[in-house]
Amino acid sequence: MNKVLLLAQILTVASAIVVGFHPNILYASVFLLFTFCGVAVMFLYAGADFLAGAQVIIYVGGVTILILFAIMLTQWLYKIKLADIRNKMVLPGVLATIIGAFLYRALHQMVLSLPPQTPEALEKFSTTPKTALIGQALLGSYLLPFEAITILLLGAMVGAVWLARPE
Amino acid sequence: MNQLIQFSSSLQGYLAVGAILFALGIFCVMTRKNAIGILLGIELILNAAGINFVAFSKFRTGLIDGQIVALFIMLIAAAEAAVALAVILRFYRLKQTIDADEASIMRN
Repeated sequence: MNKVLLLAQILTVASAIVVGFHPNILYASVFLLFTFCGVAVMFLYAGADFLAGAQVIIYVGGVTILILFAIMLTQWLYKIKLADIRNKMVLPGVLATIIGAFLYRALHQMVLSLPPQTPEALEKFSTTPKTALIGQALLGSYLLPFEAITILLLGAMVGAVWLARPE
Repeated sequence: MNQLIQFSSSLQGYLAVGAILFALGIFCVMTRKNAIGILLGIELILNAAGINFVAFSKFRTGLIDGQIVALFIMLIAAAEAAVALAVILRFYRLKQTIDADEASIMRN
């Protein structure tokens, strides 16, 4: 069973590498879709069933399609303009490696400072459906952030429509 | 092979994938000249943060608070993508390019 999780993680990392390095922005955004799918499978194995569904709906169905639309509206397909001209790759690569390694080390320290869960608790957490719990939490202790995010989404929608209006 | 499978389903495996995605996102943001390419990097970074929250929620706290934060991250990423793409379309209409180096109207 866990082989699926390992495969999903390999898929996530491999397609993220393509997103980071492929010179053609169209291929990079298509591979971003595979990254999102891999992350959704990882969520599923971490006991986040609702989040996995939301990930597929919002990212795979929404954000990726939006990005592809923007690429097709702003550039001609397979034109040389699609390629990014990147001559400086050493300094960003070194910086990104340092930041990633530091992040992993810092989170690893945090792992050691928190008490681990028992295997039974992990099993129970993985098998409980989360949709009802998330709904109760959103209308309970997380009511204020929930309302704030609705206003943010409304503002983003109005702002996007206003920005992209015809002349 | 068995060790690799064990590592992948542990908290460290999740954190490793999160850190790799974060580093690749930073790299993507720093190297791309294309405005949409920068947006791709930002999406990778936000996904890495979500993975870390969900992993800690399962393996350490045992509560769903981490998943709710990951849900908020997802919604903010969607709003941010919509606004950013509207800005990019506007910028394209103005300059006929989406090279981020060309966005220098507010310099000087």
